[in-house]
Amino acid sequence: MKDSATALHDDFIQRVSENNLPERRHRISLAEAGLNAEQVISMFESQVLSRLLDLEARQLKAQGKSYYTIGSSGHEGSVALAEALKVSDPAYLHYRSGAFFIHRARKAVQDDPGTPAQTPIWDMLLSLCASSEDPISGGRHKVLGSKPLNVPPQTSTIASHLPKAVGAALAIPARKRLALDNPDNQYPPDNAVVFCNFGDASANHATAQSAFNASSWCAYQGLDIPLLWVCEDNGIGISVKTPTGWIEQNFKHRPKFTYLQADGLDLLHCYMNARKAVRIARQQKPVFLHMETVRLMGHAGADAEIAYLTESQIEQNQRNDPLLHSAKLLIDLKLLTNQQIVDLYLNLQHQIELVARQVIDRPKLACAQEVMQSIIPKSNQNLPLAGLTQPQRDALFAKERRAFESAQPLGRMINFALAEIMAELDNVVVFGEDVAAKGGVYHVTSRLQQKFGPNRVFNSLLDETSILGGAIGLAQNGLLPIPEIQFLAYVHNAEDQIRGEAATLSFFSNQQYTNPMVIRIAGLAYQKGFGGHFHNDNSLAVFRDIPGLVITCPSNGQDAVAMLRASVDLARKENRVVIFIEPIALYMTRDLHAPGDELWASKYPTKHTPIAPGEFNTFGQGKDYCIVTYGNGYFLSRQAEKILKEQHNLDGRIIDLRWLAPLNEKALLEEINQCNSVLVLDECRKTGSLSEALMCMLLEAPTRPDNIKRRTAEDSFIPLGNAANAVLPSVEQIIEDVLAMNTHKNLKRAG
Amino acid sequence: MKKRALVVCPGRGTYNKEELGYLSRHHQDKTEQLAFIEQYRQTVNQPSVHELDGKDRYSFKLHTLGEHASALIYACAYADFMSINQDEYEIVAITGNSMGWYIALSVAQALSPQDSITLIDTMGSMMKNGLIGSQLIYPAVGADWKIITDKKTELFTIVEEINQRAAHALYLSIDLGGYLVVAGNETGLSAFEQSVPNIDDRFPMRLYNHGAFHTPLMSQISDVGKDKLTTLDFNRPLTPLIDGRGHIWTPYSTNPQQLFDYTLGHQVTEPYYFNRAIEVGLKEFSPETIIVLGPGSSLGSSVAHSLINIGWQGISNKAEFVERQKRDPFVISMGMEAQRRFASFS
Repeated sequence: MKDSATALHDDFIQRVSENNLPERRHRISLAEAGLNAEQVISMFESQVLSRLLDLEARQLKAQGKSYYTIGSSGHEGSVALAEALKVSDPAYLHYRSGAFFIHRARKAVQDDPGTPAQTPIWDMLLSLCASSEDPISGGRHKVLGSKPLNVPPQTSTIASHLPKAVGAALAIPARKRLALDNPDNQYPPDNAVVFCNFGDASANHATAQSAFNASSWCAYQGLDIPLLWVCEDNGIGISVKTPTGWIEQNFKHRPKFTYLQADGLDLLHCYMNARKAVRIARQQKPVFLHMETVRLMGHAGADAEIAYLTESQIEQNQRNDPLLHSAKLLIDLKLLTNQQIVDLYLNLQHQIELVARQVIDRPKLACAQEVMQSIIPKSNQNLPLAGLTQPQRDALFAKERRAFESAQPLGRMINFALAEIMAELDNVVVFGEDVAAKGGVYHVTSRLQQKFGPNRVFNSLLDETSILGGAIGLAQNGLLPIPEIQFLAYVHNAEDQIRGEAATLSFFSNQQYTNPMVIRIAGLAYQKGFGGHFHNDNSLAVFRDIPGLVITCPSNGQDAVAMLRASVDLARKENRVVIFIEPIALYMTRDLHAPGDELWASKYPTKHTPIAPGEFNTFGQGKDYCIVTYGNGYFLSRQAEKILKEQHNLDGRIIDLRWLAPLNEKALLEEINQCNSVLVLDECRKTGSLSEALMCMLLEAPTRPDNIKRRTAEDSFIPLGNAANAVLPSVEQIIEDVLAMNTHKNLKRAG
Repeated sequence: MKKRALVVCPGRGTYNKEELGYLSRHHQDKTEQLAFIEQYRQTVNQPSVHELDGKDRYSFKLHTLGEHASALIYACAYADFMSINQDEYEIVAITGNSMGWYIALSVAQALSPQDSITLIDTMGSMMKNGLIGSQLIYPAVGADWKIITDKKTELFTIVEEINQRAAHALYLSIDLGGYLVVAGNETGLSAFEQSVPNIDDRFPMRLYNHGAFHTPLMSQISDVGKDKLTTLDFNRPLTPLIDGRGHIWTPYSTNPQQLFDYTLGHQVTEPYYFNRAIEVGLKEFSPETIIVLGPGSSLGSSVAHSLINIGWQGISNKAEFVERQKRDPFVISMGMEAQRRFASFS
């Protein structure tokens, strides 16, 4: 029995040669479709190239030379979308978009003479063979992506690219409203449309639904959003059939969506409707184009369709091969003869085979260093934030002068810092749930909207996936987002937007695409029994293992100002994604030891002293003990320190890490090794908390203090009321731990 | 099995002293096939190419004139193309450098021979009454024939900076890979000459009788060309063509109007990326050989630089290229006596 690829190939040649072709499904003329002969032939060439690359991928896989066989066969109608769009329209593609990508590559120069001519056959094969010369990922993944073609790379995570498409579509009119510069045309032009496609099965995904909803929500309120959704409906997701009519019923009546249909098996019908869809989207409105396709050769190379489809269903799909439909069209319109079509196909097949022979020997990534080289983005030449002048500050804070000039706690200091940063950088946007008029549930974004207007400070819908995905799209288009996640626990339903998307972009694009941003997250526990688990979540594990992510957590207002500025600089100068954790319990805390001492409040600095990434703070110079901690842990340790000194005559030092990832291990060990004992204090849960990394660091270090202890929160969720304290580290426990490590000294003193 | 060949058509400046007599040496048998050129030359009152080729002495002043050099080079290249042994070689794509694009159009039959000579002679004669600007050439390649990318970037910056100055016009004209051709007005070129180090007492080297091709200074020429040549009948090429941007024009989907627009528009006024054309030819067509048509052989080294730049089949420097050429020549320059036998009947 023939394998599915060979069967498809033989079937095509035979049917075209014998003129045994499917009937045309629509009677549309070239003129009605708005196409000329050469455009149709060119689209067909791209369809053939895409098909042949799919077939070659399977050949190479069989030889152990390629690593990817999810193909685009059956979806080749997407060339009509590429024809209808401009190369300057950003395209967020799903993995069956080979034909779209090839056609865009082939027509790029005609669209925009400034685009360097592309080599799609070579490049696609490099990608299949995971060569380090693959121009988009450098051999890290088979992704469809290209900087010159405005195709940010996507991996295979289901529908995870949809939320950022919404962000990108919002970014285009936002850039215009904010009158931001576009040096070297590195961002899409004002009239660009964002294109995003996906399959019928993945349209059901929560992430996809989030994105549809967000785009509809925005348009419903009259926001400009030039966005073209295309659902390439092949009727099946791996082996699960999409119920007949499901996509149409689901999307036909979404608020403010224009729903259109296109026949992906008929180039003229598909192009005509794609063009109509693009025209509407260019008027800044979301369009949902429902495109009928088939899936050929199964989900991927290893998928045997016969296990879940009948032979006649498989044959039916094969009869509806879009290439056969295109061949029929070309012959009917007398654009090519049957023989010319066969010649074109076979010549290209031979050409691709020969190119593949060259490509298989191209270099591969050879060591960890090469693989990891693109995790951290490239830096650019921006100067560090300089700060406002005093008169500028006076003007900015004129309406809150008294507060600005007096000592304030952490929350207010962040508010002031945000205002100053926004005044310095006109591409910074702040958004999230309740951040606008209300100023955030903890007032950290208070008055920002009054100061900077609704184009720069705005409420999002209640959906973290949209917030984070939106931030990615905005960041890719030259804005500098500072999104707020209202509570740490809420990030978990949207974590993939950080883990699978924002953090991976530089890696999978070989540093060509970045999405710099600072994600502010209110979190951690100790809210005096208020709120229970979801407002006191004390786990940062979700961020800790993500390569390249910067995690930071200030413990006090003065640090927060410098660290927020440093985080923004990391984003704008080094294109990093920064997680800025704000301990809610310390937002309003003014006093350290006694009511009214105001030791945890500070005045906004008149001159900024930078805190560099990795720069920790050490309080005290004693050698009896060292406590390594951050956030609330630092606050509690400072309380314990006074008691340890005054009541137990122990003199130690407390390290406030400030930057939780990456850790400045060398400097930390130097500091810790000056002490006789070390307590790793972590307010997060025992399992998965930073304490694990710190303990490992100590154990793996060539030298370390003799006494090492760890104190963490229990592996529990945070309960409501005072019971919360039962599972969190306390001042008493810190004292107990330090004393336990210093029994020898205490006994000596007692003796 | 035929060998897959990428054919490269030569540009201006390839018919020099050594090439005098090229037609009589190699193409005495093709007088008839070249008759269309002579007929055209007669109608425009120009000496025949055979007459020019048969002069006793090479005259810089005469042979480098646009109106003569263009037709002469076309005749030689066209005849060379006809000499390729097509029983042995399958021509899978055709490209050219600069004026070589016109020749490529001709040999790929996107233009008839008559229309080709009309195009070539018309465009070559445009500056009969005085050159517009001039060209110079400058290297950005090491002794190992590796392209020095940083050097190129630096040269691009210099060109851009000079062009910003008042009364200075200077642009990249052709990117040959290891060499850059820069074009502009006299002030611009002089400023460039003063800004870059002299290399081997040769570079920067002015190209005699060459106008500022492939720059905005040619926009008027482009307009006149479009106007004068509206009757040319552009067709789909029979073999894929790769243009000066690296764009592929296929035998099936080429739009003749777009081909006309590019040839007399963008191609005339924007930089010509010969290096990119070669790269695209190699990567997308995987030829087993590159045949550089004569006259002359200077393009061969540019082709070699481009091969080395992408590490084609493991060739990463001059020594490896030379070794490969000895063992199994990848680049065949028909303008070199020793190599033309590999590709041709004659």
